Amino acid sequence: MISRLHAPASPRFVNVSRVLVRIALGILFVFAGAAKVDDPGAFAIEIQRYHLIPWIPTVLASVYLPWLEILVGALLIVKRFEQGALLLIACLLIVFTFALASATFRGLGIDCGCFGKTFTATGTIFPLLRNVLLLAFTGFVWAGRQ
Amino acid sequence: MRLVRQAQLILLAALLPASLTAAFHPRRPPWFQPALAQGEEMLPTVLAWGDNVLWVDARSAEEYGTDHVPGALLLNLESWDQLFPKFLDGWAPGKKVVVYCSAGTCELSREVAERLRKNGISSVFVLKGGWEAWKTRK
Repeated sequence: MISRLHAPASPRFVNVSRVLVRIALGILFVFAGAAKVDDPGAFAIEIQRYHLIPWIPTVLASVYLPWLEILVGALLIVKRFEQGALLLIACLLIVFTFALASATFRGLGIDCGCFGKTFTATGTIFPLLRNVLLLAFTGFVWAGRQ
Repeated sequence: MRLVRQAQLILLAALLPASLTAAFHPRRPPWFQPALAQGEEMLPTVLAWGDNVLWVDARSAEEYGTDHVPGALLLNLESWDQLFPKFLDGWAPGKKVVVYCSAGTCELSREVAERLRKNGISSVFVLKGGWEAWKTRK
């Protein structure tokens, strides 16, 4: 039993896991983008609560980011432009993680705003940890790219 | 570099729907809007928080007596020592505290919010537009 637990995972299991993680990551990004694309005005206010960028860049981000999330998520699901999509997902997650960490550090007491009005998680700690986990998943998928 | 080229193409492709959103979306954000100060919130946002809000009226007792946001607690600097214990009775950790005074230009709500923060109350916000914004809500 012990030797079985310590045995390396079979390549087939790793490959299947990687496909599932890739699709789940893609669906999550499509969902996150779709939840915000319906109301860019509300998303702009969510971004503004972080007090990181002026209003005009906030407006640009509020109309651009949801579509970028949908696009990279969809491309990851259908496995097209996979490397580029993974690179952008990693960049987005790093930026979001920085913003959440900054809000947490400054004690802003705001909500993440990651999924628009669809899913209003209170606070920034949980989304921060979730982003770190998603970054790890992105690295896992990246390691198996062809 | 296939990786960078792919990323560039994706970034470019997202520009098209984003431009259409910026130009035609019915709920697109306005290009020019007075920015919210740190710790300030707009009424629609506060209303969207639902029951997880404790309203605090920073105006005088007379103004509070005339009319106030339903469920709001009176808490102003003049009678802080008497009113703060009552505030603590109504407050619970995790609840968002929204302070308002008569209008967007008054400073009382900011001062009360600042004092609440100094007393260890987290998630304290100032209502942009104050009582006027509440009265003129749609």
